[in-house]
Amino acid sequence: MSPTMRRYVRYALVLLLSVALILFAQEIKLIKNPDSTPITSMTFVGLGILWLFSFIGVIIADLMKLVPIKVIRDFPILGWVSITSLSLCLVSDFFVEAIQAVDFLAITTPILTVAGISVANRLVDLRKTSWKVAIVAVFVFAGTYVCSALLAQLGLFLAGN
Amino acid sequence: MVKNFVYFLVFVLAVIAAAELIGIQTFSIGSMNISMLPLVFAIAIAMILALPFLRKGILKKIYSKKNVDFASKYLIFIMLPLMARYGSDVAPQIREILQVGWVFIIQEIGNLGTVLIGLPIAILIGLRREAIGATLGIGREGELAYISEKYTLESPEGRGVISLYVIGTLFGTMFFSIFAPILLDFGFRVEALAMASGVGSGSMMSAASATLVARVPEMESTILAYASASQLLTSFIGTFTMVFLAAPLQQFMYKFLVRGDKK
Repeated sequence: MSPTMRRYVRYALVLLLSVALILFAQEIKLIKNPDSTPITSMTFVGLGILWLFSFIGVIIADLMKLVPIKVIRDFPILGWVSITSLSLCLVSDFFVEAIQAVDFLAITTPILTVAGISVANRLVDLRKTSWKVAIVAVFVFAGTYVCSALLAQLGLFLAGN
Repeated sequence: MVKNFVYFLVFVLAVIAAAELIGIQTFSIGSMNISMLPLVFAIAIAMILALPFLRKGILKKIYSKKNVDFASKYLIFIMLPLMARYGSDVAPQIREILQVGWVFIIQEIGNLGTVLIGLPIAILIGLRREAIGATLGIGREGELAYISEKYTLESPEGRGVISLYVIGTLFGTMFFSIFAPILLDFGFRVEALAMASGVGSGSMMSAASATLVARVPEMESTILAYASASQLLTSFIGTFTMVFLAAPLQQFMYKFLVRGDKK
């Protein structure tokens, strides 16, 4: 296998792991709360579609690295996957229906689990950051969110919506 | 190596199971309702067990260098199905979104709030050049790249942005999942809060929008559609907002705020 091929196989397997973890989370969610999104054959189709769209997005992101426009080259892979999925979902409602059979919150739990493990070795970096920046961080995060929310609220009001 | 990975996998499953079994916990402080989602418990458990003094025996094997490296290298791929899910949330509502498209663009300017609110506070508590790095944006990869190009990461500006990056990575999702619904109690419309959730970090956006969904489940499709559309817009024009609006505004305000300092 060529190195490129091997890389794609690895991506494909990681994506498979990701959708498998989602299924697991949805299953546990059902045990905790039987009224949450049920696991049907549509859920499996939905997970397959999520896997496929993600993989297509990865390939597109790679191809776009060849484009000589910086903004497009630097556009994040996460964005390409959203665009791929959005375009294909606009083409067929079937995709939307299948993906919606996957519980939204069940998708988020595995991600944050892996995120938590990924920062494990950065916990020590905290000692190097000053408490002052920690205070500033609260206002920085709150600032962007509140200002955007205020403008959005005003905009929606003016739009009469 | 394979054995190592088995530890990792079993641990991930155990954390997910624990987080999901804890479920959504809501408690109120005064008139505010704070909901904690399984995602908050998941990241909290995974981080707490990683504390250096706990890393003995099996935890040491779970948090082996290989496993932690695997998690950080492939985190972005683990996130991709979530991004694909957002496509299906936006698609059915694309018409409505385009109708209020200008509102989405206007609220992007709200991302200047990092400078407008963060910078005065930073100067007030005694930060100087670090404040440039710490308030330019929410300290994700975009700001990191810009600051390192302009000032290098060894400079005070660089230290500021790295500190914010570390804090954001560790606590950003938790912050937004708690903060977003608080604003709901302040009377903000859930649509506006959903739009504002596109702050430029996929996991922070997900945390903010997910808690909004938990609070207003009947609006789930609108919340997710607005949040992800706004996130997508931020990833397109966020760099421009930073370079052409946030950075000049920051320079102007910085000079004004530190004018009393001795040379």
